[in-house]
Amino acid sequence: MATQETQILDNIIASRRALLVGGGAALAALAMPKTAKAASTVASYGDTDILNFALNLEYLEATFYYYAAFGTDITVANGSAGAQTITGAGTAGGPVVIKPNAKVPFTNLTVASYALETAIEEGKHVNFLRTALGSAVVARPQIDLQNSFNALATAAGSPLPTTFDPFLNDANFLLGAYIFEDVGVSAYSGAAPLFTTTSSGKGYLAAAASILAVEGYHAGLIRTVLNASDNGIIFPTYPAGTLATATQKISTVRSNAAKALAQGTPNLDASPDDYGFGQAAAQVTLGAAAVKVNRSQLVDADLTNATAFERTTSQVLNIVTIGNAVTAGTQAKGGFFPNGLNGTFS
Amino acid sequence: MNTLVELAEKRINRRKFLAGVGAAGAATALAGCQSTGVNPGPTVNVGLVDTDYLNFALNLEYLEAEFYLRAATGQGLLPADNSATLNAVTIPAGTVVGGAKISGLSAAQQNILNELAYDEQAHVRDLRLLLSGLSTSSLTAAVSLPNLDFTNGFNAVASAAGIGSTFNPFQDWDHFLVGAFLFEDVGVTAYNGIAPLISPIGVAGPTNFLANAAAILAVESYHAATIRATIVGNTVAAGGVSNYPYFTYANQISTLRGTLGGGNETPLTLPGGTTSSPTASTIVPATTTNATAFSRTTDQILHIVYGKAGAGVSSGGFFPNGMNGHITVTQS
Repeated sequence: MATQETQILDNIIASRRALLVGGGAALAALAMPKTAKAASTVASYGDTDILNFALNLEYLEATFYYYAAFGTDITVANGSAGAQTITGAGTAGGPVVIKPNAKVPFTNLTVASYALETAIEEGKHVNFLRTALGSAVVARPQIDLQNSFNALATAAGSPLPTTFDPFLNDANFLLGAYIFEDVGVSAYSGAAPLFTTTSSGKGYLAAAASILAVEGYHAGLIRTVLNASDNGIIFPTYPAGTLATATQKISTVRSNAAKALAQGTPNLDASPDDYGFGQAAAQVTLGAAAVKVNRSQLVDADLTNATAFERTTSQVLNIVTIGNAVTAGTQAKGGFFPNGLNGTFS
Repeated sequence: MNTLVELAEKRINRRKFLAGVGAAGAATALAGCQSTGVNPGPTVNVGLVDTDYLNFALNLEYLEAEFYLRAATGQGLLPADNSATLNAVTIPAGTVVGGAKISGLSAAQQNILNELAYDEQAHVRDLRLLLSGLSTSSLTAAVSLPNLDFTNGFNAVASAAGIGSTFNPFQDWDHFLVGAFLFEDVGVTAYNGIAPLISPIGVAGPTNFLANAAAILAVESYHAATIRATIVGNTVAAGGVSNYPYFTYANQISTLRGTLGGGNETPLTLPGGTTSSPTASTIVPATTTNATAFSRTTDQILHIVYGKAGAGVSSGGFFPNGMNGHITVTQS
């Protein structure tokens, strides 16, 4: 009996791991044979491959927040935000593609303090993952924080302009941050169950869960602040309600990219894996009172189960390259990573 | 009482009793089974399995769901969401003291409250579904709603934290935020603590325990950030702490949680400095070195929700008769 159960478990493990790694391609092929497929499968991988994938994303986030808060790269220390090392295996990127003097001219002290907190924390995540990886660490790949935002904003459409500068002002910074944070949550949420059952694997899992929680806090913070500011008064350039619309458009881009669907058709997907913070379209029924009510969407989660979306590495790749991870087995390039990521999952 | 129910509850108590005894005490435990009223002593996490941790989390989700549902609607969970089934016999839910619909909310505030209530109701259902996917004729199934007490629970917290002799989070939006603040960061540290204890691959697909725990952990983090950021934002809008005492209340609760829960706290701070050279906020409670979220042991969580430190604590605070399941008594 025990042997049989073990065998069943082994099969489940194998299929689950394969699904999560290659899910983008597998699901797209099954459900939508006429659409492009997400790049796919990695035959074998270890815990360090998952951590290095996460490190690529942390490089991206930390670089964005350092430039927003300080106007300098993560290799430069600023007060509590330490200088980060960016060398390692793979192809090291050149200077970050970004506008000159990118420090955001914040006018809202609260938003400025949030930007600083997040910069410090993302920098520590880079350092934490690099320390955990030791000699297996990958270098920071080429990062683009200019053309990427333009491409994403163009795909999202109005009210985002085709030339979108996340470093222009407080509101644009929040929208720029919005683009990253929920993606980080879905990536860590998808990766958490993939770690091995070895003692080091369990240690990595604990670390990944601890970072997942922090990314959840960051994402919740950004969505809450955008929601509280969406009145046309705090950020006059965005009339009341437009921030909610903008995040819904961005979420649609992310969902389409994750599912390898063509961009530009807002309602292409009946069951997106991403939602803006505005009021949910459908009412829900609460408890014994059985009342039907409206609700906000300050959490980016499955509408029924209230569990965070779990994305495969392929799905995340497709988002950060803005839909360019379309050919299975080839390097995904474009968007925020014009030359692709470093490491096994690339 | 229905004989089958009685038998079922006896079995639960016996299992609870056995779970509450360490390997060293196993021999004496067997002898003790014959009599009633024996103090099982502190729990030792020997032989705990995934379902025990999920049921521990379910107790916390019951607490949160009842809190938010009552605040949003005046009523709690549906009977279908709070009872338990054992050997085909329904074990009724416990009773809930306190909790009332908050009046005078703006549409935006009600929307946020409704979201929190729906999410926690969904988490109760998620965990119950995960647990019921296993045999309902064994104690691996979901436990029922334990007795809860919001009135005395919050009053005890307020007294211990130095806020005052009573505290009613259902009074208005600002009081509610303080009550929610108490629960949300606790939920995050609890899930973060149990995630590495759950088998990485428990059951396949949508019933994967770890994947679900991680996905719920993330949602609790979103909630916690919403509450923390809203309290900070309200304080700034009010013109400072002197005009908004709820900021101080929240930090007094944070201090109390730290005392009972092994530290693991980062108090709220107000934005300072200038827009070009600000001080960092502390929306995220995390370690200073690595910016990783805190995790707590089940003991530390029990100390917080029972409102009492030390070994052998089996009830108190929000759980007047303790949690249900196998992780109910503190061992340290």
